[in-house]
Amino acid sequence: MLGYVAIGVPCGVMENEIGIGPLSAFLISCTFYSGAGQFMMSPLIISGTPLASIALSIGLVSSRQMLYSAAFSPFFASVRKRLSVLFAATVTDESFGVNMERYGSDGAWDERRATLVNVFSMLSWASSNAIGSALGSVVDLPLDVMSFGMTSIFACLLVGQLDNATAAVVCIVSFIAVGLLKLAGAGGVAIFAGALAGIIAGLVFEGVAGHAGA
Amino acid sequence: MQGHSFWLLYILLLVPMLIFRVVPLLALKHRDLPPKVRAALGLIPAAAFAALVANDIMQTDLWTGDPLAGLVPVAAILVVIPVAKRSGSLVWSAVAGMLAYACLSYAGASLGW
Repeated sequence: MLGYVAIGVPCGVMENEIGIGPLSAFLISCTFYSGAGQFMMSPLIISGTPLASIALSIGLVSSRQMLYSAAFSPFFASVRKRLSVLFAATVTDESFGVNMERYGSDGAWDERRATLVNVFSMLSWASSNAIGSALGSVVDLPLDVMSFGMTSIFACLLVGQLDNATAAVVCIVSFIAVGLLKLAGAGGVAIFAGALAGIIAGLVFEGVAGHAGA
Repeated sequence: MQGHSFWLLYILLLVPMLIFRVVPLLALKHRDLPPKVRAALGLIPAAAFAALVANDIMQTDLWTGDPLAGLVPVAAILVVIPVAKRSGSLVWSAVAGMLAYACLSYAGASLGW
């Protein structure tokens, strides 16, 4: 949640630049709730990008949420629909990593605790955005430095996943695929397609390694 | 952008986001998934975080504008990795990353990169 404060405030400052007040920033952050999407929004609007292009660009970047949602499905097999919807609607990058780590290491971790992590993270993000919007142009924050805080959090979550050879293959292939996609000018789909390439490579590697071991 | 246009954009962003977030979980939660699909779901965290980190540190400056400036996030993430390994802390990783990024950017600017 502290990570969200570090990047939520500058995000709110940027939202203030396009006329989004504290209350609207809070509402958008509670519902749309996307760090990457909200960071992309302000510069695209300021640069006069057409509405359809903004929606498409941010929609493509958000497509990775499908992978997160699918990854949680085995843990929600017997959970009632209302709680499943609340949980799924409040998953984002950081809470995905925290909950996945807890489900993997703590046998007592359940859907209620997981949903609380999501909701508190969301409120932390929304409050930070509202504060940032209220501060507006009064403060001058180094946006690139603060947004690198979230990159560092992703790196920490990634390090926690690298506990076997298959995970290393997945990581390397995802890195290469994202680099190639960005080089080809397909940055909008780079995260989703890069992750997908990594998953496919991991499955192939597991198949080959299993076959060799048999 | 006018107020009504912004809220139209908000709806255009919110609806797909909710579909992306909610539909896969609801569609898959009651299914007895084949082993291959289960294996694929287990690989999602490593793949997603690798892709997120790669997307953030591989900036177009690396191959277009200023390669040295493009190397700042790559070098900063190399500082974060040992901190993350040793501490396992999201907060310390974020602090280390921001400090490294700020110092490297300052050093780069001082050297005229």
